[in-house]
Amino acid sequence: MNGKWMEVITEYFRTNKDLYLEMVSTHIKISLIALLIATVIGIGGALLVSGNERAQKILSAVFQTFRVVPSLAVLILLIPIMGTGIMPALFALTLLAVPPIFMNTISGLTSASPFTIETAVGMGMTKRGTFWKVKWPLARPMILAGVKTAAIEIVASATLAAKIGAGGLGEIIFTGLGLYRMDLILIGAVSVATLSLMTGLILDGADKLLVPWK
Amino acid sequence: MKKRALAVVLTVVIAMGLAACGGSAGDGSGDTRQIIRVGSKDFTENLVVSEIYALALEDAGYEVERVQNISGSVIHTSIVNDEIDLYPEYTGTGLLSVLQMDVMTDPQEVYDTVKEEYEKQFQLTWLDYAQANDGQGLVVSKDVAKKLGITTISDLQAHASEIRFASQGEFNEREDAIPALEKVYGAFDWKSSKVYDNGLKYELLEKGEADACPAYTTEGQLIETGKFTLLEDDKHVWPPYNLAPVVQDKILAEYPDIAEVLNAVSETLDTETVTALNAKIDVEKEEMEDVAREYYESIQ
Repeated sequence: MNGKWMEVITEYFRTNKDLYLEMVSTHIKISLIALLIATVIGIGGALLVSGNERAQKILSAVFQTFRVVPSLAVLILLIPIMGTGIMPALFALTLLAVPPIFMNTISGLTSASPFTIETAVGMGMTKRGTFWKVKWPLARPMILAGVKTAAIEIVASATLAAKIGAGGLGEIIFTGLGLYRMDLILIGAVSVATLSLMTGLILDGADKLLVPWK
Repeated sequence: MKKRALAVVLTVVIAMGLAACGGSAGDGSGDTRQIIRVGSKDFTENLVVSEIYALALEDAGYEVERVQNISGSVIHTSIVNDEIDLYPEYTGTGLLSVLQMDVMTDPQEVYDTVKEEYEKQFQLTWLDYAQANDGQGLVVSKDVAKKLGITTISDLQAHASEIRFASQGEFNEREDAIPALEKVYGAFDWKSSKVYDNGLKYELLEKGEADACPAYTTEGQLIETGKFTLLEDDKHVWPPYNLAPVVQDKILAEYPDIAEVLNAVSETLDTETVTALNAKIDVEKEEMEDVAREYYESIQ
């Protein structure tokens, strides 16, 4: 059985190498762009409302609400508005990724203890200085954790982009489902899982680089 | 309060009356004739055709039990195991899926083969086949078809480099789809080929986001010939999938006139008719039973 599996899978890569590489690169491209947009919106949004508790609550509620709509439903609902292809896929993935980044940034920024802030003020720091020199560095690990959560979710969910013609590794999985071909499903699923793991590792590396004191 | 008590009494009386009527009617017909169990697969077209069979049989005086929504992969086992008496089947499915024989493309030849083999192997009879053919096909949006002069799959292959193909993924891989087409027609070098969910294909063509897609030849949307062009399989790659009732031999032996009743129905079913029935249900969202009844009454 094992030998047969290997054979079928090797055969797939032999005949479909270019197609496979294209799907992997599309998958990575969609995920990266979505992550970038989500990071800008998530962190930017959190910074904007960082001084205003009421706005924080409202915005978190809004993001959380959008997040509970399944990505697949978002994709199909967007067809009449944005059509098919990469744009709606990016939109749905961004929607999924903003909340963890936003929420983590907020809680990171509020994590500095009042004592620490008082010390900073006591040392003569301005409000601005306190923010950038104390609050922000202390929030960084939390923010990175949020980005990591978001990135892993995006890589896994980008599979759905194949439903609306945006390509990616979902193509192999959905083709495999249609044909009931386990080899294809396995190749697709393992590839997505590997990408997800690699994303996690890369961001762990970034964590070490950006938060050296940890 | 009084009114409510009266209502309760009335309801009970009516219910008892109805029960009595039902009982006596059942007694009258039950012992003379067996109930015919009409099966159907689990998709629109098969459901509506089986409902039309059922209506025709009821009209001929039979009592019918409808056994609907049997999965396509097990319905043959159901009829062999005597769980249903008849159901609408496709000649190509019988040939390739049930009998596992090689592809043939002549409708009459396929029909003769399945009829003979079913009789031998399963004691099942294929009644007359309808002209309706629910086979595989390729569809091009009307505008593109007109602009490039595409009416056949050969034309499509010749213009492939100008065509954006929308597939549901499996069509590119399945033995009897693109690989089979490429063996006969030559390679299809699409301008682009993308994978979409199967439910989106007609919308993609309509909105001009793709030019061609795979289809089944009786899909309701194809009724809109102003928007979509179904291409002719001019080199006959695909087998015919003509609709016909498959009936247990022992039922036909006991009630031979069933053949006549169902053959009369099949005679009226061609591809356009069946496509129109599918369209009423899938596109215009009418109830399947209403569509079947309306059609049955129209062929009386």
